[in-house]
Amino acid sequence: MAPGRPAQSPHDSGGGDNNSKKRKDAPTNPQHDGPNKRPRQHIDQRQKIRIARTLSTQTTSAAFQNGALDVSSFVKSRAYEIQALENGLQRSKKALNERAFQQVPKELRRRTASHNVKRVPKRLRARAGREMAVDNTPTVTARRRKPSGHMRLRLETVKKLRALGAKRKAEKDKPKDASVSELPAKDVQPGTITTAIKPRTPKVKKSLLATPPVPKAKFRKRQIHKSWLPTHLYHAKRARMTAPSAPLWRFAVPLTPTAKSYRPTHRASHDRGAVAWDMSYISTIQLEGRESSVLGMLKAMGAAEEDLSGRKASKWRAGLRVLEAFLYERESPHELIAPVTMVWCVYANGAESVEAEGRKRKVLLRVHPSAFFQLWEEVLRLAKVAKPAVSVEDLRFEIGSLEITGPGATEALLGALWPSETVSASNSASNAATTGMDVDTTLDTPRSESVGDIWQKLAGLTNPALLPQNALLGFNVQDPRLHHPPRTIALPKSDAEQHQLLELSASWPIDAAQKSCDIFDGKARHLASTTLPSQKAVNRRKALSPPGEYPQALPKDPRMPVLLYSASSATPTNSSKSRQQPKSHNGGSWTLLAPWKCLPPLWYSLMYYPLSTGQQPRFAGLDQKRQLAFEAGKPWFPGDFPGTKAGWEWECEDRRRREGEWRKRPRGKRVGYEKVEMGGGKKGEVGVGWACDWERLLDGPAVVEEAALGVVEDDMDVDGVAAEKAGDGAGSAEKAGEDTVKPAEQEKAKEDAVPFQAPPKPSQLTQLSTRQALALLASPEAKLPTHINLTSALVTVRLTLLTRGVPQPCARIYRLPTDNADLRRQWLALLPSNLPHKKQKGPKHALPRLPKDAPAHVVQQRLAQSLLEPPRAGEDKYPACPAEEDLVGFITTGNYDLGEGQGTGIGSLLLSRVRDGGEERNGCILRSAGTGLGRLARWEVV
Amino acid sequence: MVRIKHRYLLINILYPDPKSTSGRPATKPGDEVPYTVQFRRPSPDRMDGGVLTRLIRDGVAELYGDYGSGKVAGSLQVKYFSQATSTAIVRVSRDYYRLVWAALTFATRLPNPVGQSCVIQVVRVSGTIRKSEEEAIRRARLSIRRAEAAAKSSNAATAGLAAATPQLLSTEDDDADMINGIEDPDDPRDIEEDLDDDEG
Repeated sequence: MAPGRPAQSPHDSGGGDNNSKKRKDAPTNPQHDGPNKRPRQHIDQRQKIRIARTLSTQTTSAAFQNGALDVSSFVKSRAYEIQALENGLQRSKKALNERAFQQVPKELRRRTASHNVKRVPKRLRARAGREMAVDNTPTVTARRRKPSGHMRLRLETVKKLRALGAKRKAEKDKPKDASVSELPAKDVQPGTITTAIKPRTPKVKKSLLATPPVPKAKFRKRQIHKSWLPTHLYHAKRARMTAPSAPLWRFAVPLTPTAKSYRPTHRASHDRGAVAWDMSYISTIQLEGRESSVLGMLKAMGAAEEDLSGRKASKWRAGLRVLEAFLYERESPHELIAPVTMVWCVYANGAESVEAEGRKRKVLLRVHPSAFFQLWEEVLRLAKVAKPAVSVEDLRFEIGSLEITGPGATEALLGALWPSETVSASNSASNAATTGMDVDTTLDTPRSESVGDIWQKLAGLTNPALLPQNALLGFNVQDPRLHHPPRTIALPKSDAEQHQLLELSASWPIDAAQKSCDIFDGKARHLASTTLPSQKAVNRRKALSPPGEYPQALPKDPRMPVLLYSASSATPTNSSKSRQQPKSHNGGSWTLLAPWKCLPPLWYSLMYYPLSTGQQPRFAGLDQKRQLAFEAGKPWFPGDFPGTKAGWEWECEDRRRREGEWRKRPRGKRVGYEKVEMGGGKKGEVGVGWACDWERLLDGPAVVEEAALGVVEDDMDVDGVAAEKAGDGAGSAEKAGEDTVKPAEQEKAKEDAVPFQAPPKPSQLTQLSTRQALALLASPEAKLPTHINLTSALVTVRLTLLTRGVPQPCARIYRLPTDNADLRRQWLALLPSNLPHKKQKGPKHALPRLPKDAPAHVVQQRLAQSLLEPPRAGEDKYPACPAEEDLVGFITTGNYDLGEGQGTGIGSLLLSRVRDGGEERNGCILRSAGTGLGRLARWEVV
Repeated sequence: MVRIKHRYLLINILYPDPKSTSGRPATKPGDEVPYTVQFRRPSPDRMDGGVLTRLIRDGVAELYGDYGSGKVAGSLQVKYFSQATSTAIVRVSRDYYRLVWAALTFATRLPNPVGQSCVIQVVRVSGTIRKSEEEAIRRARLSIRRAEAAAKSSNAATAGLAAATPQLLSTEDDDADMINGIEDPDDPRDIEEDLDDDEG
């Protein structure tokens, strides 16, 4: 080591001399030029690391002149050493660093392997460029990339088709040359459809199912059995979609982003940021008719009386609020269909006079697509008999929607939605700075303000739950592409501004200002989607505007009708005021309805909005939707409503998936459900291990015998016969196939690879609404509508574990043992409220940790205490799981809850079995399928 | 794959015999070198990592025979040796670092081309080289501060100024520590000084 010279990195000598596509030889050892490239590169890296790790040192003669010892040289030599060591630490850390492309943050991971410097963030660009130059990596752009196998085939087909099409078009256009030149003019000036021949206005066919929009020829083949969401192209690049062969509800639905997103989604929705979904798959039905007859229809479908006609519902009926309610089938057995969101159109011109009574009004019903057909048929049937007549329209592919939640949701929406009204009023396109709060305007004259103006005053709102519950805003917005890329809006900073926001949310002037919303108007929807200018036209306008400013809004610009409402809950939880809301910290979410074709521009503006807290809104898929519903402690339709038809189908699908996963594993590595120790010397899982086995739960003791025979004797005939005896006709075949494990059966199951059809729902299985369940639980004599069979009515509950453990889906829920008093006492002793030591430090559910130097008497005390400690799971004294007659339900969703910091679950219970539980009625015992260990939990109706 | 685990010994070489060392105190009369500086002398130029390796290998062979040298030989490596400060970092496999430590402790004389009497202190054993480097930095800082303080105090003493600053007191204490020849790295006073240093 030369004194005073730090070790050099090997990349000092540069200079590109050749244009070959190979990596350059390492500058340090040019003499090696053999054919074996790989080992040399390896050596190169090791050399690099070794050099980086070598520390420079100083010799004595260099440090001390003439060997003389004095303080200054002494200090200098130490200082040199410090410097050298610190450099060494830095260098050795850097030597292990990856390339700039690998340092891209997680959100931008998609770009790491793109081999284009322009795709990495600016701060890394210079370094990446240098690295690419050194390695002689060619820059790749999408345009010049060599198409891969499939893509090549596809491109060849496209080329051929294009040639054919061009030929055909040329032939077609030959006779009428004159009309060709006029066509592009339409593109340049949108909104002016003043051609001589008016296009025929499409006649709305009522009471017919909507057909999906005809996709572009390029994409038509891929949408034969399903339709794409309006933002499919965005999601398909970034998310895992449903498999092409297995669309969900006839849509290609994004399931989960490709990037890891469990925790980031939780953070973005609770702490900072925003999470958005394209919810266009939610179906919309429009009813049009007299208010009274529509209300009558809804009443016939089982909507609660006070929701529809009470004083509280007057705002909903006026079209100023949204109502979410459960709707039921009209015929007995009055099955629950789904939670439905209902929105009235505002009275035209605000006249709520007597004359308005006779006028036709419109209401939108929004329902999950899995329950759409059920609701549609029900609505059609009722509309036919309604007097005066009600017309029904299927708006499935006409109205798209998106949902956004999280603290930054309002901000992002404000950045994307520029109301049209303000522009027409002031006629001045302003840049982003003025879109935010307009401080000078006061709230004194709410009448004069339009909904759009008020909407813009919501800047600074972090939780839509601050607004009146289920608030609603309907207005028209400009084309968001004119303001793309969006800029961060001005947020309120002073207290006065914040106060104004509070005042606004308290007084809520929208109620006075809301005019009838264009989204209910089919013509307006149609106009907005057809007059949407092409991207080219938008770009041209943007190019003409002065630098740094958005283009001027023109009066001819299309106005996109949107309807925005804040949903504070996923399911109706009204009438539960007395009960504390399970988790109020979860903010509400905004749902935006817009014409189907207008959704993509809105979506892009939303996704690229730079939030004031940094980053952009995240997009999410179905899994995240379920995750957030679970974290909020709310059931998700259809998965958590197994008593409905849609929920039953979902459960069957889930069952099939879990069974496939189970069967896929070798015998030794999968859970042996038939061998699970159930306590009390019993063996074998209750029902099918991979299912929430509702049939087993309902069919009661008859099934117990069957299961015992089937499992213990392993006799197929008995099994099948018993199943037929107990089951309900059609379901028996599946049952025989699914029940327990047997190699012969498995093979048989493999053979029939027919497309999956969910077996019909057990007819007696029903789902109770929250309201009914609470009423039944509150008083034993509460009356149920006669049609509901109480013995088979399910109620959705949320479970919190009292000790430890994380509930898994399919976990079995038991009530505290009823006929075994001893066992019951043992379980009750485990309740935290019954434990002797209450407040404690240290690990949860264990004795506090002792300090190291604890005196002897404390240690002894501890010993005595630990003897009194309740038995831990796994110990011999730990109470066994209750018997099957105490089985009350199953967990449908269960996981570790990031918000709660412990495992929670959503499940369903048979209400009749928990109704008379005596003391500790809400206590229950959870046992994951395939294990014999029970955990104490508590349930509450949600 | 199982990682091969090492221990890194941070060592200081001290030269107690002032006559034979390379760094002699300056001969000028009024310029006395403080004790802390004299205590940590530089090594002679001929001393380097190779010599240190040989010393350890011989020492282990002498103390533990073929068994010991065989166990140690595979992993022994001098990672860093600075003559100017007589500091070294020695790597050895985790299971047998005690053999090396013992050999270092029993060494009294550097091997032949140098041939000087010495004392070797193992001041830190760590699992990563990073931590031992950090410790070396810490100790270098500490000794710089002590040397500067001592120089100041001696200057003050020669000039006849009685400046009883806390720093002065602490250096006196340090010197008292040094007389025993043992440094206590966990001495709370040292840590406090460190903190002060960081703030400054």
